[in-house]
Amino acid sequence: MRRRNAVVVGLAAGALVLVAAGFSSGGKTSGAQGKKGGTITMLSNGDVDHIDPGQAYYQFTYAITYITQRPLLAYKPNSVTPIPDLAASMPTVSANGLTVTVHIKHGIKFSPPVNREVTSADVKYAMERGFDSAVANGYASAYFGDLVGAPTTPQNKVPNISGIQTPNKYTIVFKLTKPSGVFVGALQEPLTAPVPASYARKYDKGTASSYGNWQVATGPYMIQNNAAGKITGYAPGRQIVLVRNPNWNPKTSWRPAYADKIVIKEGFDPTVGTKQILSGSADVNGDFPPPAAELKSITSNSSQKSELEFTATSGSRYIALNTRKPPFNKLLVRQAVAYVLDRNAMRLTRGGPIDGKIATHFISPDFGPVGFNQAGGLTFNPFPSAGGSGDVAKAMALMKKAGYKSGKYSGPQVTQVADNSPPGSNTAAVVANSLAKIGFNVKTISVQHAAMYTRFCNVPKNEPNICPNVGWLADFHEPQTLLDPTFNGKNIIPTNNSNWPLLNDPAINKLMDKAELELNPETRYKEWGQIDDMITKTAAAIPWIWETSPTLYSTKVTHASELWNGGEPDMSFMSVK
Amino acid sequence: MGAYIVRRTLWAILLLLVVSFLTFVIFNVFPSADPAALRAGRNATPALIEQIRRNLGLSKPFYTQYWIYLKGLLEHFNLGYSYYNTESVKSEIFSRLPATISVTVGGFVAWMLIGIPVGIISAIKPRSLLDRIMMGGSLVAISAPVYFLGLVSLFLFAQGTGVLQWAGAAGSYVPITQNPGTWFNSLILAWLTLAAAFAAFYARMTRGNLIEVMHEDYIRTARAKGLRESVVITKHGLRAALTPIVTMAGMDIGLLLGGAILTEIVFNIPGIGRYAYDAIVNADLPAIQGTVLFGAFFIVFANLVVDILYAFLDPRVTYG
Repeated sequence: MRRRNAVVVGLAAGALVLVAAGFSSGGKTSGAQGKKGGTITMLSNGDVDHIDPGQAYYQFTYAITYITQRPLLAYKPNSVTPIPDLAASMPTVSANGLTVTVHIKHGIKFSPPVNREVTSADVKYAMERGFDSAVANGYASAYFGDLVGAPTTPQNKVPNISGIQTPNKYTIVFKLTKPSGVFVGALQEPLTAPVPASYARKYDKGTASSYGNWQVATGPYMIQNNAAGKITGYAPGRQIVLVRNPNWNPKTSWRPAYADKIVIKEGFDPTVGTKQILSGSADVNGDFPPPAAELKSITSNSSQKSELEFTATSGSRYIALNTRKPPFNKLLVRQAVAYVLDRNAMRLTRGGPIDGKIATHFISPDFGPVGFNQAGGLTFNPFPSAGGSGDVAKAMALMKKAGYKSGKYSGPQVTQVADNSPPGSNTAAVVANSLAKIGFNVKTISVQHAAMYTRFCNVPKNEPNICPNVGWLADFHEPQTLLDPTFNGKNIIPTNNSNWPLLNDPAINKLMDKAELELNPETRYKEWGQIDDMITKTAAAIPWIWETSPTLYSTKVTHASELWNGGEPDMSFMSVK
Repeated sequence: MGAYIVRRTLWAILLLLVVSFLTFVIFNVFPSADPAALRAGRNATPALIEQIRRNLGLSKPFYTQYWIYLKGLLEHFNLGYSYYNTESVKSEIFSRLPATISVTVGGFVAWMLIGIPVGIISAIKPRSLLDRIMMGGSLVAISAPVYFLGLVSLFLFAQGTGVLQWAGAAGSYVPITQNPGTWFNSLILAWLTLAAAFAAFYARMTRGNLIEVMHEDYIRTARAKGLRESVVITKHGLRAALTPIVTMAGMDIGLLLGGAILTEIVFNIPGIGRYAYDAIVNADLPAIQGTVLFGAFFIVFANLVVDILYAFLDPRVTYG
């Protein structure tokens, strides 16, 4: 999933704990006591990635998708445990793990102009359209590719997937080719939110679906539309207006939906947006964190401080060392780099301790019992140094072992491809300076952030020695979503590759393949914890921060940060005071 | 004159073609992001990315892509569809045009209304205290980047963020047809910010030109004829002094557009500048191409108008 914007400070995804000294949600997350009515105004810098719920794959977009659509499962704001939303109860999994059955609630209706009751066939169509290249959902293959009959190549029409069966209007049965430890978790993705086939099919034709501009809702809110169903409340890059869905029945939902209207105003400079929220002319930030200078000012002001919430992330930032090219094809050299890296200085480039803890492995603290503790928690640190500032002596000792007699690298220049703007460019400069302490001469190629990924770090044949500005967020709280796409050798692909170190360790691959099939949560989390330790020790990638994400609320509204979604506000739980 | 306009128009079309071709080349040759990969998301398979690339027409050689684009543009005035959100680029540009016109025309008016009178006053009273204050102030305005000046003005004067809260907040823009008062209020700071550097430069230029012109023989003759000083300045001095300024203004409108991009970003005005910025961030070639063509057209057209105006301002100029 795409991260919340990285403007100056750090970002995040889901979380169990709130960090940063002195801050907490303080019980402000609204419950049943909120006041009905009013308008909530959210400010953002950019736009949603896709307005179509079947295409959405971005934290900021999810803040809108989850209150307009009802996937089978969803989360309350202060939780990372999925609960039934469209589903009437949690899915049941057969003993062999090959059949997953979900019953959906009765009486849930689509918004105008469709107005009819949702059936299991609408869920089937919604998931199937994700495999159509006109929709091109980014995670359909990754999480639903094990369904019997799921296409293995992109389709030019909505396929019929035999493994999605609808024996009656309220039951949906998923048949899998192999057991999957994450399938049930993935049912919280917005791709499972129902789409009415008879209405949507005409918009899904062609090379690019236009259903997003004609979408109907099942959640408490809908994007404002006209009588024909055309979305009128979305002006790309400008504004999104959500109004109440007249067909939403509160008795079927745990969302309080206090506000009558939600307006997302886009295009705001983060500093200006922050000041508007502080003044009360807007209510909450969407895709941007308040800039570092503003954060310092807010945290030193006793009345403003309580309006700020920091949410831990479900992932980490790290630097990737290309294990296919010398000199980082040698374990000892990589471990030397892991020792010498000044992670504290790297963290300072993104705001310092307020931005999060120095990471010592990959599963982040917010996972807690879901893999983090099993990996050794905060005590597992295979490359320790005082204050995280690097240990040159240990690094040089490892370089000597690797064959560099002076303890310093004496080979040719190495290359890194980095962001061309702060904070990423500053982080890359710290990496180059750290490596210089053990003799590396690092050449930095600076490009736009998106080009760094799509033209270099994601393309193995173009990949440099170092990718210093990479990181990964879990799509949901299963360690597999954090470690498998990024470190399993089978996931090394010629384009859009996310295994940036090109790590292909048979022992790690084998254990991952086993853990993927494990249905027992305890065993599964233990295995992923072990995998995390094994990956970290290879130093193929070196984690350096578990980030937090700041969300700022105005004094006019109650707080409701989505711990599962990087601190994005759950506006269906916020209320105007 | 007619032949001149036709010739210039043909050159303008050729220039626009060259600009569009260069934009295509830059996007394809230099390391920009891969739109298909961005569209697909991080977990997408290479096969899906390839399919999206085919759907977007990106798998064809770039000259073929350019030819298809050009054909659509010339035959149907079709600027293509955004890779990012599949919206029509033409519709987006036209829906944002009123905001950009509001910013640039207002900025231009503010720039002229401030720059030229200040220059005249300074020229009439050279080396006076007023002259020194105005020229000193103009140096400050020239030196301050638009982005910085915009933020400072918002933090001083805008509702929601300012100390004094006199003007409309960032993001408060509404079309003039909806509410002229709010429209004016939402743009006043943007106009002044955009105009500041230009007004300052033009004040200094007007001052210099006018001082020089006022030492010409024909000005002495006009005074000797007993004309009032105000008539000498406005009718004889200013007319000559303004001729190069009009030429410069034509060329500077292009720079004004560049400034408008930053102004629209700072003040969150949903214009074409903001659209161009978002397009660059999202590697959205059709949107980049559309906004570049629009900008180029605007500059070429402004220069053509200036050249024609030149003939009216300076009787020595004729067009063959």
